[in-house]
Amino acid sequence: MNPISRREFVTLTAAGVLAAPGVFHSRSAYAQASLTAQQIVDRIRQRAGVEWKTATVDAFKAGDPATAVKGIATTAMATMDVLKEAVKAGANLVITCEPTFYSRADSPSPGGARRGGPAGPDAVFTAKNEFIERNGLVVWRFSDHWRLRTPDPLSVGLADALGWARFKAADDPRLITAPVIALDSLASDIKQKLNIGGGIRIVGDPRSRIQKIGLLPGTTAIQAALSLFPKVDAIVGGEVREWESVELARDKATAGENKSLILIGRVVSENPGMNAAAQWLKTVVPELPTTWIPVTDPYWRPA
Amino acid sequence: MRRALTAGDIVSRIKANLGIPWRDTTYRDTFKFGSADTEVRGIATTVFCSFDVVRRAAEAGCNLIVPHEDTYWNDRDDVTVVSGDPLYKTKVDFMTKNNIVVFRIHDHMHSQRPDFLYVGSARALGLDSKYETAPQSHRFVIPETTLGALAADFQKRLGAKAIRVAGNPNAKVSRIQLGVGYATPAVNNPDVDVVVSGELQENDGGFDSPEYVLDAVSLGINKGWIMLGHAVSEEEGMLEMAQWIKAFTPEVPVQLVRAGEPFWVPKI
Repeated sequence: MNPISRREFVTLTAAGVLAAPGVFHSRSAYAQASLTAQQIVDRIRQRAGVEWKTATVDAFKAGDPATAVKGIATTAMATMDVLKEAVKAGANLVITCEPTFYSRADSPSPGGARRGGPAGPDAVFTAKNEFIERNGLVVWRFSDHWRLRTPDPLSVGLADALGWARFKAADDPRLITAPVIALDSLASDIKQKLNIGGGIRIVGDPRSRIQKIGLLPGTTAIQAALSLFPKVDAIVGGEVREWESVELARDKATAGENKSLILIGRVVSENPGMNAAAQWLKTVVPELPTTWIPVTDPYWRPA
Repeated sequence: MRRALTAGDIVSRIKANLGIPWRDTTYRDTFKFGSADTEVRGIATTVFCSFDVVRRAAEAGCNLIVPHEDTYWNDRDDVTVVSGDPLYKTKVDFMTKNNIVVFRIHDHMHSQRPDFLYVGSARALGLDSKYETAPQSHRFVIPETTLGALAADFQKRLGAKAIRVAGNPNAKVSRIQLGVGYATPAVNNPDVDVVVSGELQENDGGFDSPEYVLDAVSLGINKGWIMLGHAVSEEEGMLEMAQWIKAFTPEVPVQLVRAGEPFWVPKI
């Protein structure tokens, strides 16, 4: 018999987990003391250090929030492959940056998301729901508020993954000053370090000398590129609208400005930031194991 | 003396020949630079009114540029968004010096029948009309191939470098839904194996097809997603647009000035 420690007893009682302290058996006490997905999310909300928005995508997307959590997996996108890996790792709470059910609405059935096709069940939606239910998974999205933290954890994560931790500006992790390198070498370097397949695309003169680099992980509008370009030689971004920042970069190259754009894809750019989320969660939920599961680049190119 | 042909005259002919009523509510299909009274010596159509396209149009003697997309790096061509960047002034100064007029044709081109963007893209991709399920369906049933072979064929035909494909390269496919530019169909239509289009946001939109394709692959369901890039996807249709304008504008030369693919990819 493992007697429960005095400290744990106080913690559990204070948390209101034990309805009738003194009559428990230690083993069942541990079981009762286990954290639910809802309790973990409540803790994240308390510890995030940002004001919680009323309109937000950060919500439960699948599973029962009352589920006792055995382990946590963070990921940029809760794909089927990621969910399978989470199960293998013993995690049943998946914390994802991007949607689970293929749209911002994140509805677990195709509903209005089916475009131009006949109505009826969708085999992919059905199978994903079944997998989640069968394995007792809970999926919670953590995007809006994770990005709001200072310094921006997605930029910090991306800089660290690219080996630029010591090159970050002290007051802005998006700004990197690294040893001078040619754009084509930089692009190959990034492709290898982030294990990118066909999702990397570059605008600019391959022979450009790059020293100052700006990071725009995730998806960004023209305003972000316009404000960052004056400070850097190249922007490493996730996703932009091609009629905005891509054409801006192309025109800058035409005008002879030493400005380049390296697009690595939205999800790939968010991978390291969700690794950073896993490291942070270990401090927020030290009782449970937390694993980061990277998403493979969705894209390839014909040979 | 012959009255000079102005940019305004040509725009009037475009409106008259469209076959659909002109909608003045469009913010896209308007003059983006220069005066309607400017005498036109030559016309260049293009997918993007990039600085490089403006220069090459001027070199070719074309001072009316008819792009499908924006000139100032935002869809509304709102200059207040971009005027703080010195490049805006550089581009505008060049256009002023070269007596350039820019008139965008976007919304009406997509409403016109046929929509030349689809005609041009299908032509360039080798999607013959005999494969189209019905006129304007933009759905093609081709002899069965693999996703890998199809993507390789498209890449070769277009000479494009940065085509992006999601899906199993060995998946057997024959039913293609063609989109253009950002008008990219969702991939979960059960009657469709492959969606081919220009661009679309990866996630958090109306339908996130790349994630759906990854999950379909994981389940052994054949789905493919081929993104050509916005410029590559819509460039070809501007050749059809040039030919169409030429038919009712015999006084001046009309040509396509290609914007080209903006991207390159690492060798390793």
